[in-house]
Amino acid sequence: MNRFTTLLGALVLGVSLATAGMAVDKVPATAGPGVKVPANQRFTLPNGLTIILVPKKDVPLIAFAGYVRGGALADPAGKPGVASLVAGLLDRGAGKRNAYQFADAVEGVGGSFNANATSESITLNGQFLARDRTLMIELVADALVRPIFDAAEFESYRNREIEFIKSAKDSDPSQIVAIYGRAALFGAHPYGRPQSGSERSLASITRADVADYHARNFGADRAALVFAGDLDPKWMKTALTAAFGSWGKAQAPLPKLERAPRVTGRRVLLVDSPGAVQTYFWIANVGVDRRYSGRPALDLVNTLYGGRFTSILNTELRIKSGLSYGASSSFARGTVPGAFAIRSFTQTDNTAKALDLTLETLENLKRGALEPAMLESVRAYVLGQYPLQLETAAHWAGTLSDLEFYGLGKDYIEGYGPAIATVDLAETAAVTADAFPRPVDLVIVLIGDAAKIREAAQKYGTVTEMKISDTDFSPGK
Amino acid sequence: MSHSFVRVVSLVCLLTAGVASAATKPAKPAPPARVPGLEQVQSTTLANGMKVIVWTDRDIPNVALYNWVRVGSRNEVPGITGLAHFFEHMMFNGTSKRAPGEFDRIMEAQGGANNAYTSDDVTVYQDWIPRSALDLVFDLEADRLANLAFDAKVIESERGVVYSERRLRNEDSNEGMLFEQVQATAFVAHPYQFPTIGWPADIQGWKIEDLQNFFKTHYAPNNCTLLLVGDITAEEGFAFAKKYLEPIPKQAPPPPVRTTEPEQMGEKRVRVERESQTPLLYIAYKSPAANDPQGPAINLLLSVLTEGNSSRLHRLLVEEKKIAIDVSAHFMEGFDPGLTWVMLTLPEGADIPAVEAALDAALADVVAMGVTDAELARAKNLNASTFWKQLATINGKAGLLGAHEVFEGDYKKLFDSPATYDKVSRDDLQKAAALVFRNERRTVGVLTSPPVKEPAATEAPASAEVKK
Repeated sequence: MNRFTTLLGALVLGVSLATAGMAVDKVPATAGPGVKVPANQRFTLPNGLTIILVPKKDVPLIAFAGYVRGGALADPAGKPGVASLVAGLLDRGAGKRNAYQFADAVEGVGGSFNANATSESITLNGQFLARDRTLMIELVADALVRPIFDAAEFESYRNREIEFIKSAKDSDPSQIVAIYGRAALFGAHPYGRPQSGSERSLASITRADVADYHARNFGADRAALVFAGDLDPKWMKTALTAAFGSWGKAQAPLPKLERAPRVTGRRVLLVDSPGAVQTYFWIANVGVDRRYSGRPALDLVNTLYGGRFTSILNTELRIKSGLSYGASSSFARGTVPGAFAIRSFTQTDNTAKALDLTLETLENLKRGALEPAMLESVRAYVLGQYPLQLETAAHWAGTLSDLEFYGLGKDYIEGYGPAIATVDLAETAAVTADAFPRPVDLVIVLIGDAAKIREAAQKYGTVTEMKISDTDFSPGK
Repeated sequence: MSHSFVRVVSLVCLLTAGVASAATKPAKPAPPARVPGLEQVQSTTLANGMKVIVWTDRDIPNVALYNWVRVGSRNEVPGITGLAHFFEHMMFNGTSKRAPGEFDRIMEAQGGANNAYTSDDVTVYQDWIPRSALDLVFDLEADRLANLAFDAKVIESERGVVYSERRLRNEDSNEGMLFEQVQATAFVAHPYQFPTIGWPADIQGWKIEDLQNFFKTHYAPNNCTLLLVGDITAEEGFAFAKKYLEPIPKQAPPPPVRTTEPEQMGEKRVRVERESQTPLLYIAYKSPAANDPQGPAINLLLSVLTEGNSSRLHRLLVEEKKIAIDVSAHFMEGFDPGLTWVMLTLPEGADIPAVEAALDAALADVVAMGVTDAELARAKNLNASTFWKQLATINGKAGLLGAHEVFEGDYKKLFDSPATYDKVSRDDLQKAAALVFRNERRTVGVLTSPPVKEPAATEAPASAEVKK
C-alpha cells in the first residue's frame, strides 16, 4: 500500500538525473561536494573485452554489472524473444555445471546472478560475498562463454516464459501496456519488439535459434564487465584475465540500428480486457537519444512534467482530480531515440476525462513557458535526489557499465551537476519544443473494457482493436 | 508478491533429481561477521515519549528520516477498513498552517522526496532529503503531527486516488484479488482479516469524523518512533527533535487491540472465479508474531523452500514436475500471530488438486524429515547477503533499524541479527515446519476462470463485493 510506487518506479526507470554539483546562487547549497565517480581501473583485454574495477569497501560484497551488445536488436526476423531466452538460459547450465548445480553454486554461497535482454544488449548483474570472488568469476565466465542450452532446460524455460506472459496479462495491466505501446509506436523497428517475446513468437523459437544466437552474437568484443565493492584490483585483474582471455569474438556483425521516425498524426490501439474496471493508458512518440545535447534541461522539464510527485501530470490526474493513483512520464534514451511516454490509469467511466486532461497538460507544456520558481524547485529536487542513486557498489557497477555501453565519459556524471545548475529558461523552452511531442502527433494505447470505452477512444484518432488474449503484442495483419 | 514476467530477479534451476542430489555439496555458512555501526547509533526519548534513533553515515550528503507509527489496518473495525492507509494519504494533505499539497511542494523545492506505506501493523513515513533541508523537513513533520487538518474537498478527491489504487492492485489483478480473499477468510475475529487498502464500501464511506478520531487516537508522539540515518550527527538529530517534535503533547496511549484470533479448528477453503489464463493457488498457514523466538527459523525455512532456483519447492514443482510456473513464500511478521503464505502461479489448464497434493507431500516431508545441512547453510548465506545489501544504503539501514525497534522492541537487535541467524539449527527448522505447516490451521485459496457458461448466460463480474 505504497503511496507512490508507480511514480517512483517511473522516475527511477526514466531519465538519469543530475548530479549534486556546484552551489550557484539560486541553488540551495544542498548536495555537498558533488558526486564523484570513484577511482577505478579500466582495461581492455586483447580479445576486446573491457573490464572496469571499482574498489569500494563499505560492506563485504562484490557487485558486478555488464553487457553483451545485441539484445532484441539481434533477434532473428519474426522471432522476438530469442535474446531474452538466451539471457534466461545462460545460467541454466554452463561450463561443468548443469542448471541445478549452477543455481546451487550461486545460491549456496548467498550470491546472485541475473541476465536480461534489453533492446540493445543482454545485461548482467549480481552480487557475491567478497570471500567468494574466485567462484563468482568462474560462474560469470561459464555463463557468458560456455552456456550449455540443454534441450530439456530450453523447452521447460521457454514454456514457462509463455505462461508468465499470460500471468502478467491476468495481474499486471499497468506494466504490460508499455509492451503494446512500444510495438504500436515503433512497428518493425527493433525498439518495437517485445523484449521478452510474445506467446506466439516464443512458441516458434527452437533450441537451435538460441544456440545460434549465442554463437553469432556473443563474444569478448561485444562485452564489458564492471566489478565494484570489497575487492583488490590487482588480484581481480589477474583472475579476470585468466578467466576471459581466451573468449573469442562474436561471429556476426552487430546489426545496425537506424533512427525511428517520429509519428505524425494520431493512432489509437485499444486492447480489449473484458471486465477491467480501469483503463491503463500509454501515450507516446519517439523522443531523443542518449547523447542528446539538451539532456540537463530535458531532465529538468520531464521531472517537472511527469517525474516527481508534484509533477504537472500527477497534480492534474491525481492531486487535483483524484482520477488516478498516479501519472508519470519518461524518456527512454537509447543509442537512437526511444519513446517519450506518458502513463497512467483511471476508472473505466473516466477514461475520456483522464485522456483529455492528459492531452491538455501536454498542450499547455508545449505552449507555455515555465515559471522561474518551478525551474528552481525542480533544479533543487534533481540535485538533492541524485546522490541516493549512486550510493552503493551495485549502483556504481550499473552506472559505469551504462557509461561504457554508450561510450560516455565520467563527465556524464561529474559534469552534470554544474550543467543542471546553469540551465536557464531559454534552454528549457528549447527542449520542450524539440523533444516533447505535439498533442496532435501521438500513439495512444489503451488496455480496458472495449465495450465501454470503444466509443470514447474514437475521438482520439483512428482506432485499431485487439484482444488482451491475442498471442502477440500487436494486432494481426 | 509480484512475480510476473517483468522480473527483477531471474536466477537458475535444475535438471533431474538424481543429478541434483549428487550436486548438493556440503556448503558451509559464512561465519557471522561483526556488524559495524553500533557505536554510530544513538537514541533518546523525548519528554513526550517519542523515541529518536540516529545512525550517522556520511557516505552521501543525504538523510533518510523515517517516522514509524504503530498503527495499521490491524487497528480498524468494520465500517472503517482501509482508514489507516487513507489516513496515510491525508497526512500529505494540509494542516492548519499549510494548505493541501504544500508539504510535497515545499519538500521537493528543497531537494527532498518522500513516500509512505501502510501495512497490517504500521504506517511508515519516509523522507529522503539533502542534509541542507533538515531544518525545514523537521518543521514539516512536526506540523503535520501537531496540526493536521482535513479539507472536505480534498477528502473526496483523495478517496478517488485510493479507490484507483485498489482497482490497480486488487480488482484488476488476480493476484491481489485472491490474496485479499484468503486473508479475509483466514481470520474470524482478528482485524488481520481486513485488506489494508479497505473494502470498497468503506473506501466510499469514510467520513471526516473518522479521520479526526483516528488522528486523535493513534497519532500521539508516544506512538511514533523516529529514525534518522545518514549525514547527521546524534547531537544534530536530537536538537532538531527537541526543537520541533518535543513540544507536541503526549497523549493517552492508543487502546490495545484486544481481539485475539481463536484457535482455528479445521481447514478453510475459498474459491475465486475470475477470467484468468493462469490459475493461482495461495495457502495461508496460521503463524506466530514477529517477535516469536522461532521467527528466524521460519524465515530460514521459507528460504530453503522457495528462495531461488535451487530451493526445494521451486525444484520440485516448477522444474521437475512442471506443475507450477512460480512459487514463493512469505512470513507475515506482525505484532500479533498472523500468516505464513505459500503462493503458487500455475500454468494454463493446471490440475489444481494434483498440484495441491504435490505441495502437501513436500511440506509433510519437511515436517517429517527436516532439511539438510546444505539447505540450511544456503539459507543462512542468502540471508546474510540480503542483510548486507540492506546495510549498504541509508534507506536499508533506516528500514532495518525501524523494524527491529518496533517489532522486537530494541534496535540493537539489528546488530545481533547475523549471530542470531547463525545459531539456528536444522532441528529448529524442523520444529518451525511442524509449527507452521498444519492443515487444520490453514486457508486454501484457488483462483480460476468461472465454469464455462451456456451461450445465453450473461457475463457477470466475478467478485460480488466489487461494485462501482
